[in-house]
Amino acid sequence: MTTNIRICGAAGQGVQSFGDLLARTFASMGLHVFATQSYLSRIRGGINSYDVRIGSEELFSSARKTDLLVALNREALDQEKANLAMNGVMILNTAESGGNYLALQMDKLAQAAGGTARMANSAGAGAVVSVLGYDLDALHKCLTQEFSKKGRDIVEQNLDAASRGYRAVAGHEGLVRAPKPAGAPATLYDGSTAIALGAATAGVKIVFSYPMTPSSGVLTALAGMSHKYGMVVEQAEDEIAAPNLLCGATFAGVPAMTTTSGGGFALMAEGLSLAGMLELPIVIFLSMRPGPATGMPTRTAQGDLAFAAHAGHGEFPKIILAPGDLRQAFDLTRRAFELAHKFQTPVILVADQFLTDLQKNIPELPDAPDYINLHLAKNSAPGKAYERYLVTDSGVSPRAVPGGDSYVVSASDMHAEGGHLSEDFNVQIALQDKRMRKITGILDEFIQPEIHPEPAGEILLCWGSAYGPCRAAVDLLRARGRDVCMVHFPMVWPLDGAAHAPLFEGRRVIAVEGNGTGQFALLLRQAGALREFSLLPRYDGLPFTAEFIETEVLS
Amino acid sequence: MSGAKENGAVETAWCPGCGNFHILEALENALDTLGTDRRRLVLVSGIGQAAKLPHYTKANVFNGLHGRALPAATGIKMANRKLLVIVTSGDGDMYGEGGNHLVHAMRRNIGVKAFVHNNQVYGLTKGQASPTSEPGFVTKVQVDGVLSAPFNPLALAVTLGVSFVARSSAVIPDHLQAMMQEAIRAKGFALLDILQPCVTFNKVNTYKWYRDRVRELPKSHDPRDRDQALAAAMTWGDEIPVGVIYRGVRPAFEDAHPILAGAPLVSAFKQPLP
Repeated sequence: MTTNIRICGAAGQGVQSFGDLLARTFASMGLHVFATQSYLSRIRGGINSYDVRIGSEELFSSARKTDLLVALNREALDQEKANLAMNGVMILNTAESGGNYLALQMDKLAQAAGGTARMANSAGAGAVVSVLGYDLDALHKCLTQEFSKKGRDIVEQNLDAASRGYRAVAGHEGLVRAPKPAGAPATLYDGSTAIALGAATAGVKIVFSYPMTPSSGVLTALAGMSHKYGMVVEQAEDEIAAPNLLCGATFAGVPAMTTTSGGGFALMAEGLSLAGMLELPIVIFLSMRPGPATGMPTRTAQGDLAFAAHAGHGEFPKIILAPGDLRQAFDLTRRAFELAHKFQTPVILVADQFLTDLQKNIPELPDAPDYINLHLAKNSAPGKAYERYLVTDSGVSPRAVPGGDSYVVSASDMHAEGGHLSEDFNVQIALQDKRMRKITGILDEFIQPEIHPEPAGEILLCWGSAYGPCRAAVDLLRARGRDVCMVHFPMVWPLDGAAHAPLFEGRRVIAVEGNGTGQFALLLRQAGALREFSLLPRYDGLPFTAEFIETEVLS
Repeated sequence: MSGAKENGAVETAWCPGCGNFHILEALENALDTLGTDRRRLVLVSGIGQAAKLPHYTKANVFNGLHGRALPAATGIKMANRKLLVIVTSGDGDMYGEGGNHLVHAMRRNIGVKAFVHNNQVYGLTKGQASPTSEPGFVTKVQVDGVLSAPFNPLALAVTLGVSFVARSSAVIPDHLQAMMQEAIRAKGFALLDILQPCVTFNKVNTYKWYRDRVRELPKSHDPRDRDQALAAAMTWGDEIPVGVIYRGVRPAFEDAHPILAGAPLVSAFKQPLP
């Protein structure tokens, strides 16, 4: 049993705080929450929307249709009414009753409670919980918690506004069928917070980013945590500087990361290559939006994977991780730092607007610092000069940092084992081979794909944030008797064709990707893991939903 | 050239008579005079002939990308504020390719010392104009002569209130050494613009040209006075003032920042070092 509530209105009308309030309220009731936002690249005007989907079981996708639409203005209602489910209900913020909606004067209700128009959300939320057949307790508790710092009067006014909203739709209690609370976790996270927490607890100490939607949520979350974890979060002058600063920081022994989106990442390609050459463990968080160029700044896409896999001039090992859900966002952020330090090479953590803005209630994430192993070597070598780029079987050289007994020498020019410049062809071959040998070790630690629920004749192949919608689509298709499963890759580079090939042998593969060409499937094909596949693309800027995938598979 | 000899690892790639030799020697002397612990010294550079200097002496070396020495140096200083971080790179690297980084490193006033080998020409790419080339300077690329105005790094540094702003030249090595020592002693960002002859590609700004023009700032010059500093920074022609042009009062980034003001970030980790 699931119900989808959609709040929509003009930017600046409080759509986000209204949605946040509902999401928190429902999570505190023990309902499973899956909340997503759709907003325009502007601060005022236009129509933004916020979906809060609730269920009695864990949710993996947003819904296409709305069971309860709350329109903060008439334009929003006109735009969204086509997406109303059968038996769906609309609430309109208006004084004019008599339409096919419940009229609710949210501002007036808030003012009647002695408050300001800014408390309209509380009145609206009161009406929503009533129409869904819930009582006011959880909403009242959330409002008390939210406003307790602002004093007793503000709390009372908000509680009264909520009660007035609740009573204003009297006679319509339970008009929209809604799930029963099911003991879901009370802690609500968004993707950005999960990633920031993963980085902070892993030990990142320097964050250097130029703001760019949709990556700024992670930057903001890290800045908010900076004092708690002792992190320096500094705004970069540009994305060219960012990876270079990270190289300096990691050269001196401190884990560092940057956050960006496609255009900024393009500027980082030069510094990414530097990290490959100097063998430094930098971590780049890339949150994708549709391109090319400025594209659709506030929308979602999975269109930068091929670019990320090949970014940076020259050849060097690189790792790309792409979390599928919030827990994985936390875990893989940590893993990004671990792998970067173990193999002394850059790691790109890839997500998108959908995953970073996604809110879900999940079991609490650990917030205690638990620093990763930096895999540093002693900076002294009795009787022998320390060589930063010593040729080893694994390709990983003992990494020391400056400040000890020996000098650490790193150069972006071709260099010999000691780090000084060299133009010797044999040294070039030896050092390139050394670096590239790390790929064998990296593949030994490959994070295996998840198969849901079990191998089947047909595979929905996906990566990154398509996980949830794909998984839910598989459940819908299997309920119709289709022999289908999901195969989700959380690690997408480097790839071992021979190791992955058996997964796909003799099965029909449909690549579900948020791009127009099937970038991941093509990488798998290039690696020799996959021969034929059909493509289920989405590149309109919106996230996949289970229903979208189901419809496309059946058509 | 004691450093090159002691290091022995790398043969210099500079032309005979290059101004870089005097700059390297002045740096060696400055570090020795100050008794600098070389193990705590990181020399950072970008790409260019000047940027090869770190390889020719005893120090930790971060020889990064063209134009990107300052972000790397900033990262090193943030990670371990106990390190002495000196950038030694050329005018193309610092004023051209890395111009935006220079602006923002100076805005931060991070405790990095930038020694800019300014020979008003691109050496490693064989003689094109640099951001500080004189108008009318003819090269194989600027066949009609340079039309753009020369970049004035010192005036910019003064307007940004940088901690230490000075000019010297490879043609006056003792003065250069003294300026390097002053820059290293100063807190916050230090910009030392070093006028340097390029014997191969700059036939205008020669040893003689610079020797005839450099003049020490008068005793009356007050480096705390921004107007006087700006006037000195804007002076270029038959007389070019050298010396400490400006001393700003802004705190170093690492002292002003609530997290960096504490223990070095690197000490947060239990690791087998330094």
